[in-house]
Amino acid sequence: MSETHQESGSGNGDFDLTQFYQIFFEEAGENLDLMEQMLLNLNLETADDEVLNGIFRCAHSVKGGAATFGFADVAELTHQMESLLDRLRRHELHPNSAMVDVLLESADASRSLLSRHQAGGEGDALPTGDLVRRISELAAGQVPVTVSATANVVAPSRTIVPAPVAGSESKSKSMRSLEVSIGPLERLEQADAVQELFRDIPGLGSISALPTEAKNTRLFLVETGSTDEDLLDLFAFHVSRDYIQIKAVVGDLNTQRTEAAVVGTPDDPMPGSPLAPFPGFGFFDGAPGAPIAGAPAEGRLAAKAAPPKPIAAAQPEAATIRVAISKVDQLINLVGELVITQAMLAQNSRALDPALHQQLLSGLADLDRNTRDLQESVMSIRMIPMSIVFSRFPRMLRDLATKLGKKVDFVTQGEATELDKGLVEKITDPLTHLVRNSCDHGVESPAERLAAGKSETGTITLSASHQGGSIVIEVRDDGKGMSRQKILAKAKERGLDVSDQMSDAEVWQLIFAPGFSTAEVVTDVSGRGVGMDVVKKNIAALNGTVEIDSAEGYGMKVSVRLPLTLAIMDGMSVGVGGEVYILPLSSVVESFQVKGDAVSTVGQGSQLVKVRDEYMPVIELEKIFQIPRFDFEKSCDIMVVVEADGSRVALLVDELLGQQQVVVKNLESNYRKVPNVSGATILGDGKVALILDTGALVRRSRH
Amino acid sequence: MGMMGKLEELTSSEAREYLTFRLDQEEYGIDILKVQEIRGYEPPTRVANAPNFIKGVVNLRGTIVPIVDMRLKFSCSKAEYNSFTVVIILNLRHRIVGIVVDSVSDVMELPPESLKSAPDIESVIDSAAVLGLGSLGDRMLILLDIELLMSAPDMGLVGASD
Repeated sequence: MSETHQESGSGNGDFDLTQFYQIFFEEAGENLDLMEQMLLNLNLETADDEVLNGIFRCAHSVKGGAATFGFADVAELTHQMESLLDRLRRHELHPNSAMVDVLLESADASRSLLSRHQAGGEGDALPTGDLVRRISELAAGQVPVTVSATANVVAPSRTIVPAPVAGSESKSKSMRSLEVSIGPLERLEQADAVQELFRDIPGLGSISALPTEAKNTRLFLVETGSTDEDLLDLFAFHVSRDYIQIKAVVGDLNTQRTEAAVVGTPDDPMPGSPLAPFPGFGFFDGAPGAPIAGAPAEGRLAAKAAPPKPIAAAQPEAATIRVAISKVDQLINLVGELVITQAMLAQNSRALDPALHQQLLSGLADLDRNTRDLQESVMSIRMIPMSIVFSRFPRMLRDLATKLGKKVDFVTQGEATELDKGLVEKITDPLTHLVRNSCDHGVESPAERLAAGKSETGTITLSASHQGGSIVIEVRDDGKGMSRQKILAKAKERGLDVSDQMSDAEVWQLIFAPGFSTAEVVTDVSGRGVGMDVVKKNIAALNGTVEIDSAEGYGMKVSVRLPLTLAIMDGMSVGVGGEVYILPLSSVVESFQVKGDAVSTVGQGSQLVKVRDEYMPVIELEKIFQIPRFDFEKSCDIMVVVEADGSRVALLVDELLGQQQVVVKNLESNYRKVPNVSGATILGDGKVALILDTGALVRRSRH
Repeated sequence: MGMMGKLEELTSSEAREYLTFRLDQEEYGIDILKVQEIRGYEPPTRVANAPNFIKGVVNLRGTIVPIVDMRLKFSCSKAEYNSFTVVIILNLRHRIVGIVVDSVSDVMELPPESLKSAPDIESVIDSAAVLGLGSLGDRMLILLDIELLMSAPDMGLVGASD
């Protein structure tokens, strides 16, 4: 599949599905295995609804996947299987062993076809026409094969897939007249049932009964284009091959086939099957009528066995396993505990004399390293590529653009960027909203674009990349962008507190105001207000931030910044009074010692600090968290500048204690929401420290 | 449901087991099935803007658990923290809460006949949270509906949305 990967990210709506092939192949393989197992265990007499439904579901999933990925042959075959199974589970048909046989064969054929696709389509495709036809016959309900008869038929009926032989193929094109004698039979109605085949299968030919002297025997005149093998296969549903004789009526005695010529047929359903070398697939071995290893190939049929291609060797082994999320989460929790314990040990061992406890300390150092590695590996289990999210957009955009009469190219970048599964699920909706907005309100109509001197087709770019400890997802378009004046005018109209001196970033943030999310602004301000407050809220709930950049007439860019995972983050621990608080490192900009003259007060005691010609509000954690102070000698003299929502504040703290990875714990699971606190974590000494919600602190300073 | 109803519910069923603890001079009993474990007191991490009886949160093997000092909640004359001070960890539906008490006395089975309904009196305890009074010889046991007590809004343990 390596060659197909090059297409990925090529944009223009044709999203590359090849990256999901492997998942599909694995799932299809699992489904086929499961189906096979259920088929083999199926009790024909007392067929369980549950089992029949299960088999149906398997076929259905394989079909759905195959159709999605464009494997038409597999889809067709499984579709037929599905139809048959559907009738079975509705009790419109009673299952019989002929059905089980044909379904098993079809499962094998599907597998062979799939492995061919998996190997990049090398080698000849296994013909499935015959199987498809047989299934549809069965589905049509022409199968009064008694159980006793099937016992005899099992072996021959496995001789499916009569791959066209050069000779018979040419023959099959032209109609032939055959004399078919069936018998002697105890129940002649079985023979009569053969006639129905000709009625129900279009293109099979015609049949008419001939008078015969033989007892318990029927003689038919058959006009058909099918080969003798095919006919025998067909008839086998009703009558065992042992009782069938086919004779050509006109000339050609060579075509006379007796049962003897067929019974010894090497019973390899798929001569070219690359699956053959796989020991695990050989479920036929134990089954009745299993092929005898090394059965001498009949000359005529041996010809059809194309030299098997050594595809199997190149076929990748199943490289993934599927595990319940809960197990992974449990693993992550346990590793989280281990990290805490390790940190505790590290802290307690700090006081030890390195000379005396050299071994212990080196052991602890190893533990430190291993824990970290373990944590990283475990966290990576939950990581899935962004392509899972991105892949849903091309179709959506295509539909939307068509509906709006716009021309839009969709470009994705960095689909391989990995993100926590929980985040991926939660980010999908906000992203959908942003992309839809870009198409709906950002990109202009082709006429407008031409008038503005742009190309007719707009481009929407969705990109993902890692930046430090976070992932940045950008939705860009080259549409009309946003107008600063109009947003400001709109904001004033709505009574929002705005001024013309606001920076661009602040102006763009206005569209996140709940009042802005109405349709009135759609035409004027390119309407990006619709539901933006919800988008922002959702992203903020994931500890993420949204930033907007726009240039009127040139488009806009929405950047969503998310932490890589919700469970662990890099934190900076700060001490205030006797207490320890954690700041998300991602929001820390800088820290410095305050000089007396840098802080100035305004009005009712609000403090501002001047940092390189910029004034920013000062937040005293001591006051906000009512931290008791026992040591009055000491005072807060360190400022930590944090940034959130595009603005900065300086937090006044006593001391900086260090940086560490912290496991984020939910405070609300047993307690209530605490203002300005986003969660809690457990420090190295086993104590709980609260994690500050920098977003809330910044918002607080605005009011 | 009045007082009688609740008491009837208790008395009609089999004898139940109660964990009894002391707050100052009073003895209380709570359903033993609500108790997860009993631990020594360790100073919790203070949480800002919490009522005085919420001492903060502690780490219980990876879970963050709030700690309520019942002595402060019930306005006891003194609340000392010494080696006898214990924390009863309660498992109430889906929440885990720790309560600080002076000491844990006993686990006892109370036969239904020894339960009396509590008279309506003025007290710091919400009368709905008092299930009844149990008499053990000359001792009086106040049986608490600890779940109701802990989920009450004035406890401040649950947010407005819960």
